[in-house]
Amino acid sequence: MVFLLDWLTTAAMLFIVTAGLMMIFGVMKIVNFAHGALLTLGGYASFVVTQLRLDPWLSWPLALLAGVVVGCVVEAVIVRPLYKRPLDAILATWGLGIVIGQLIVIAFGRGVQFVDAPLQGTWSIAGLPYSAYRLVLIPVALGLCALLTGLLNGTRFGVKTRAVIMNEELARGLGIHSGRIRFVTFALGAGIGTLAGALITPLSSVDPDMGLPWLVGAFMLVMVSGHSMLSLLVTCLVFGACQVLVSTYLSPVLGGLTIAVLAALMLRIRPQGFAHG
Amino acid sequence: MADVHTATLQTAPAPARQGPAKARGLLLLGLAGIALIAFGPWIFGTYLLNILIKAFFFAIVAVTVDMLWGYTGYLTFGQSAFFGLGAYAAGLVFTHAGFSISTALAALGLAIAGTALVGALVGWLSFYRGASPFFATVISLVLPIVLTQLLLSGGAWTGSSSGLTGYETFDLPLEAWYWIAGTALALVALLGWLIVRSDAGRVLTAIRDNESRCTYLGIRTSQVKIILLSATAVVAGLAGFGYGSFSGVVAPELSGFVLGTEFIIWVALGGRGTLWGPLLGAVLISVVSAYLSSSMPFAWQLVLGCAFVFVIVLLPQGLVPLLLRPLHRSGPGAFEPALIERIARPQTGRPAAAPALVLQGVAKHYGHLKVLQGIDLAAEEGQLVGLIGPNGAGKTTLMRCMSDGAERTAGGVNLCGHDIRTLPPEECVRFGLGRKFQNANIFDTLTVAACLRIAGTILERPSLFTRSPTLALPSYALEVVRTTGLAGKLSAVAKDLSHGEQQALELAMVLALEPKVVLLDEPTAGLTKTERTQIGRILSSLALHHGLCCLLVEHDLDFVQEIATRIVVLHQGLIVMQGSFEEVVHSDLVKTIYAGSAHAAPEAA
Repeated sequence: MVFLLDWLTTAAMLFIVTAGLMMIFGVMKIVNFAHGALLTLGGYASFVVTQLRLDPWLSWPLALLAGVVVGCVVEAVIVRPLYKRPLDAILATWGLGIVIGQLIVIAFGRGVQFVDAPLQGTWSIAGLPYSAYRLVLIPVALGLCALLTGLLNGTRFGVKTRAVIMNEELARGLGIHSGRIRFVTFALGAGIGTLAGALITPLSSVDPDMGLPWLVGAFMLVMVSGHSMLSLLVTCLVFGACQVLVSTYLSPVLGGLTIAVLAALMLRIRPQGFAHG
Repeated sequence: MADVHTATLQTAPAPARQGPAKARGLLLLGLAGIALIAFGPWIFGTYLLNILIKAFFFAIVAVTVDMLWGYTGYLTFGQSAFFGLGAYAAGLVFTHAGFSISTALAALGLAIAGTALVGALVGWLSFYRGASPFFATVISLVLPIVLTQLLLSGGAWTGSSSGLTGYETFDLPLEAWYWIAGTALALVALLGWLIVRSDAGRVLTAIRDNESRCTYLGIRTSQVKIILLSATAVVAGLAGFGYGSFSGVVAPELSGFVLGTEFIIWVALGGRGTLWGPLLGAVLISVVSAYLSSSMPFAWQLVLGCAFVFVIVLLPQGLVPLLLRPLHRSGPGAFEPALIERIARPQTGRPAAAPALVLQGVAKHYGHLKVLQGIDLAAEEGQLVGLIGPNGAGKTTLMRCMSDGAERTAGGVNLCGHDIRTLPPEECVRFGLGRKFQNANIFDTLTVAACLRIAGTILERPSLFTRSPTLALPSYALEVVRTTGLAGKLSAVAKDLSHGEQQALELAMVLALEPKVVLLDEPTAGLTKTERTQIGRILSSLALHHGLCCLLVEHDLDFVQEIATRIVVLHQGLIVMQGSFEEVVHSDLVKTIYAGSAHAAPEAA
């Protein structure tokens, strides 16, 4: 039972952390290496909320807002000139990650900080006490998945976005403003990234490097899962299970590496990825 | 082929306008560097010497990163892992086995073997058919992270997060270390410089520019990259071994991904693809970092991060080349080899009776969409088969199925008696295939001469350290180069050529392979009337005089009529007709398929 709950909550966390990256990768075909810094930024947004003694629930919208604002600026200044040079776009977003990280260090110091969770205590599941906040992340992940799937499949914006994903030239020829689609996607993806940072911080602590451990795992999940949010959810479930199993029965250190190593091996053996097979 | 002879077409030396100026600039820089290494101990204080020794070891790794990223186009965050492996080889052996000459040699061997092995493994994981460059980059990110975690979880054996200290190591004075590190750096830089400007080094740039074209020239690009990664891993490992032996401290940060990204930053700021830019960048930034990180650590990192983003977005060539631009304005193209004729290689290892090209029941499906069905086709040497059909008939798909074993859904393809099974293009090319693409598919940043030389890579192994003064081409490729005027533009950069010249260059590159079967996808698209006539003459002589088997996709029926010995009509994925030009053009079936263009053709003729 503990395994089941660990598994589901781990998968939920993986999905939350990866969704923003996926959004940007799906549309723009570039991987946002600043994602780790965005997670950190979200963590510090909740830290600010805690410091100001506001309601901890406020940290979610605040983090989202911070991410969207940063995303807007970054897209316009850094990412847009690099559409034609995808590897350089990776580097520029990585450099941006360094800049954000150093700004955070200058503003808040290097120390480890703690934030208030919006939800304290435990809930009893089948007679077993389990962290309430972790459990809340399961419906949050499902809701996020439903919301993003709905956005991409059910709205006008979604149709245009998918047109850009499939054939950007044609989409532009049909009068779709692909630059604006990219702008909105990047801002939204960045916002989801910071939101994810705020969502996961109550489970650990806040420090300037907190985003980094999540980053590689998130990259691998995106590479493996292909383009749809649903397949990302399935991928998170499968790899989450592996991670929990390895952490529980072997060692937590190896558990942290499970996703990266497994995904690398799997992509080598099945290059077409997980979603297509 | 009676008139095989060695004709030197271009004997005049290359126009050496800025050549000597550039060479002198580099020579001066090199001499200044050597002087600094030789007299450093009398110029610098102890503290600076210490920093410089470490900076030299780091700069060696930066040079390898530049070879991988700047020249070959493989963006790697992982070279720090090899550096760390080398450093830990020293630290672990000296800590646990003590220091002696034999343990030092064992540690050195361990550093070399370990990095070579891990490099090959990472190469195998990163480079395979269909792997995106981005995927390779992510794998290079995984490597240092995995390694650091392993070092952290090694307990007392690896010293965990505090690393290993206080082990006994080489007892050398600071000056000796300075000379060792400086000489090692100078040697690596010299070796790197020789390699990147050699003929083999051009292959690396070709892979960066256009990997797909490389595979269609028979170059096993994945293998080249794996070997290169393994070799640079050993160099980085040796630098790490030196660092670990010198400093007497090894820590997990040495293998970490933060250091890996710092290498990238130094290379980017210094100027990727120049070798000496990254070298200077690495030394200068490490020295400045060492001084500033104590007084203003965070602000310095911030400045570095901002500079990095700025350079990537606005100055992709980096800072050092920009500062030194006034010194020499010349491009890379002063070097121009002499053209000579290559004697055609003897035909070996092939059943005499086998036709050049046989297709049996070839089909290609995309899901339920059947693009090709049941294609049976055979072509002999000396035939020039014109493949015609309306747009969407499957002509280009058919060519793809002939040249890449993984493309077709069903059926068999036989090239010169070899079944291509599901082999990749580079192996099909080695069976005797040459493919000219519809759009000029060349190496943008290389010169005409370099493009042509790379096309002959599988026939003449390029030298790793020197540039050949001659460029040998088979007679028919020479003919293309001469008649289209490319012979006078050997040192021009390919992307500056006109559209027609680029098409001719690609044709010459394909012919330089000495193929038995040539696939030509609309070789005259977008050419002028004169250029078309020139190409037409060459193509018909390929089949008639040189005995090549040519397959030509073409929309221009006049052109096909002039040169083709046989016409194959493809319609909706099926071969609907084969025969002579007259038979095909006057058949009602073809008129129906082609509607407008079929009756227009005889009028124009």
